Amino acid sequence: MKILIADDSKVMRQIVTRTLRQAGFDGHDVVEAVDGADAFEKVKSESPDLVLSDWNMPNMTGIELLAQLRSTGSKVNFGFVTSETSQEMRDRAESSGALFLIAKPFTPEAFREALEPVIK
Amino acid sequence: MSSIKTIPSEKTVRDALTGLLFRNCDLVLGGQVVHSATELATTAEYVDGIGTAAIIVADLSFSAYAGAAIGLVPKGGADDCIDEKQLFPNVKENFDEVLNVLASMFNNPGQPAVRLHKTYGLRELPPNDTLQMSRQTGRRLDLVVDIQGYGKGGISIVLI
Repeated sequence: MKILIADDSKVMRQIVTRTLRQAGFDGHDVVEAVDGADAFEKVKSESPDLVLSDWNMPNMTGIELLAQLRSTGSKVNFGFVTSETSQEMRDRAESSGALFLIAKPFTPEAFREALEPVIK
Repeated sequence: MSSIKTIPSEKTVRDALTGLLFRNCDLVLGGQVVHSATELATTAEYVDGIGTAAIIVADLSFSAYAGAAIGLVPKGGADDCIDEKQLFPNVKENFDEVLNVLASMFNNPGQPAVRLHKTYGLRELPPNDTLQMSRQTGRRLDLVVDIQGYGKGGISIVLI
């Protein structure tokens, strides 16, 4: 399957990719986006099966990205990987249609637990 | 005083760094890390929606080793940064991300969210009020961190 990783930090995109591998999710296509706006375009052009997105990004935040995707009819699987871990943020993520929220710093186990129901 | 109730414990700091850098980080209490014209350090300012909530000051060694470790830059690259008294752009960018994620240490249920507001690089002195806050006594934790495979550096965590 194809996974889109949206984060404005290059090193964090690398870490998410590495952690996917360590969590046992190897062999998937990974596409990177540098912010929410870039991710929105890449969801259209790349048709990923899953989006893993940071929350705070320039140009378009992760929650704005999710809202825009849903408003345009996209039902792509979507999860947050973010330092925003308050209950308020978790509630907003869930009510907006996110499947999960993984808190930074994260472990391969956290990835496995969140992604196993999604990644086949 | 900021909305943060208690200074992160040594275990919280160790777990955050170990989880972020994917390698063991041993830490012991150390001296106050100072950022000045002659003492190179990175200063990070965290806000809680009202004002400055916390400050982290990291010395050159910690900045270089943590910035290298998170991006799997070899130890030699970090040692070069220390020898040349500068952070190479990729190491600096990586270390800024370390400081960004460390905001998680300050966040607790029921309290306002704390986030990284700004970082000041090695030769970029913060404003005087930020410097003064970073040197206050009281709610602070001064540590020497040994990042497995890299080396030791100092870090000070100050609650405002």
